[in-house]
Amino acid sequence: MPHWRQPLDRDQIQIPLGIVHIIDERCKGCGFCIEFCPQNLFIISERINAKGYHPPEVIPDLDCVNCGLCALLCPDFAIYIEDAGTRSPETISLNPKSEVK
Amino acid sequence: MSSSERLRILGYEPLTESDWETGLHPMDDLLRGERLPHIWCQGCGLGTALSTFVNALQWLEKNQEWDLDKVAVVSGIGCTGRIAGYVRLDSFHTTHGRAIPFATGLKLANPELKVIVLSGDGDLAGIGGNHLIHAARRNLGITVVCVNNFIYGMTGGQVGPTTPHEARSVTSQYGNYEYPFNLPYLAAASGASFVARWTTLHARRLGWTLRDALAYPGFSFVEVIAPCSTAYARWNPDGKGLDPESLRRRGLEIMKHYQEVGRIEHDIHPKDAHIKLNEKGEMAEIVEGEFVKESRPNLQEAIDQRDVWAEKAWQRAKKALDERPDLPAQTEHIPRTEVQLGGFGGQGIMSAGKIIGRAAALYDQLESCFTQSYGPEARGGAAGSQVIIASDSIHHPHLVRPGSMIMMSQGAYSKYIPNLAPGGMLLIDSELVTLPDDHRADITTYGIPATRIAEEAGNNRAANTAMLGFWTAIVGAVSQDAMRQAVIESVPPKTVELNAKVFDIGYERGLET
Repeated sequence: MPHWRQPLDRDQIQIPLGIVHIIDERCKGCGFCIEFCPQNLFIISERINAKGYHPPEVIPDLDCVNCGLCALLCPDFAIYIEDAGTRSPETISLNPKSEVK
Repeated sequence: MSSSERLRILGYEPLTESDWETGLHPMDDLLRGERLPHIWCQGCGLGTALSTFVNALQWLEKNQEWDLDKVAVVSGIGCTGRIAGYVRLDSFHTTHGRAIPFATGLKLANPELKVIVLSGDGDLAGIGGNHLIHAARRNLGITVVCVNNFIYGMTGGQVGPTTPHEARSVTSQYGNYEYPFNLPYLAAASGASFVARWTTLHARRLGWTLRDALAYPGFSFVEVIAPCSTAYARWNPDGKGLDPESLRRRGLEIMKHYQEVGRIEHDIHPKDAHIKLNEKGEMAEIVEGEFVKESRPNLQEAIDQRDVWAEKAWQRAKKALDERPDLPAQTEHIPRTEVQLGGFGGQGIMSAGKIIGRAAALYDQLESCFTQSYGPEARGGAAGSQVIIASDSIHHPHLVRPGSMIMMSQGAYSKYIPNLAPGGMLLIDSELVTLPDDHRADITTYGIPATRIAEEAGNNRAANTAMLGFWTAIVGAVSQDAMRQAVIESVPPKTVELNAKVFDIGYERGLET
């Protein structure tokens, strides 16, 4: 649905970007990242690590907004985000299913 | 010899680095890779609490120029207690419940250190509950992070001091009939100056609070509600119990539940910070937020303040010492002279003994020793004091055979008279002591109506001064000037004149005798 009212400085707004790194071998499969990512970026992968857990993976072609919540919530230090600058809102691809939580 | 060589000689395989490859994650700088991966279960909230804590420290290092070499982490026993072993900081894993006493010592010995106690509810509120309330009462400048998972997790899920009413556990299978602690309320009531509570789901807000709490000068207490995905979740519906579908997702189910029931209310009275269960035994409400933020001097500041005060008192004492008249020292050799004073409480028996000692030690520059004995009554009970004076060192502080006695009551007379050395001198208040028929014949007895003299001079409480004047004139172990000066210095300023007058009367009566 197109918004009829838009912020005056919309063309100046920049959205931060991040690159998600997942360390597969540390994951214990608790699912916190999958459940609580505000952009719903993660899904359970088919891969199995040495402990027998399925680590998460990022849905391809979706952009991370570098909020860092997954890195903070991950109990096993298995996820971190690398800063990748900013981009304007038009060029970013967010998960259409994402909702404000 | 290194520890690994020693182990090899003893026949053990030395510990090797685990397969946990370190240096991959930005937080690895502050983690001991050789001890990881940690022992905590899948879905446990402790890992989140640890990562939030490490994140807060990294933020403080970066933005507030904290020196992490000056940070010490102390923890007790339990799952949470393992945090001290996982952080690459100065850390100590103490005995059960004693994390706060250890941290108290650290902080007082080295006030520069930032001391953080990270421990569980069983450790801090159970066995160490007393230490928690007293550290809060003193407003000791440390941060206590209590990770509350409502249960004794490591030992298998027994009911604990924070297990909610009617929640199930291994040892409360039909619901807990006890009522739990409300930890923020407990800490705030005990005097903590910063009190907050968050669940591990609110990791971001918890991180902000931790930054504030760590930098807070007083006692800061942060309760972190964390899911116990194994022991608590098994018996309670938040974790979907024993439902096989969610067996591997119990921790997550509890976290989702926190999202539904968590209610953020800052600055409310901690009494209203409820954790409630509904009829099904699910968490129905968890009130969280920063409840108390007040500033009052912490323990170190209070100590420093007292130091200033003590320094002032010392300066006053030193000034008084400098203003003392210079009296000539006793040149005669005084052999060990023992005096026994006796009477009832309130007559100034203790002060009289102290005055003799003061006169001998300060003005005649002799050695003196003073001991006292009295009953439990504050006034009117039996009282006795002993003074020893000598030119040489006094090796034995107790009376052996007193050569003179000052007795101001009948009870003291009967009690002490057998100890008086043969040929000794007994000085009595002649109106208070009546000599019996079988009074010792081998001693000399002198008496003055000391109480009446003092009363006529204006205050019957100066009776001991009259006795002192009398004793100085008769026994002569201490010079008159020294004793007079000691009396003047020891009595309250308003009564100096009166006491000096009474002393002179007593002294003259002694010379006349």
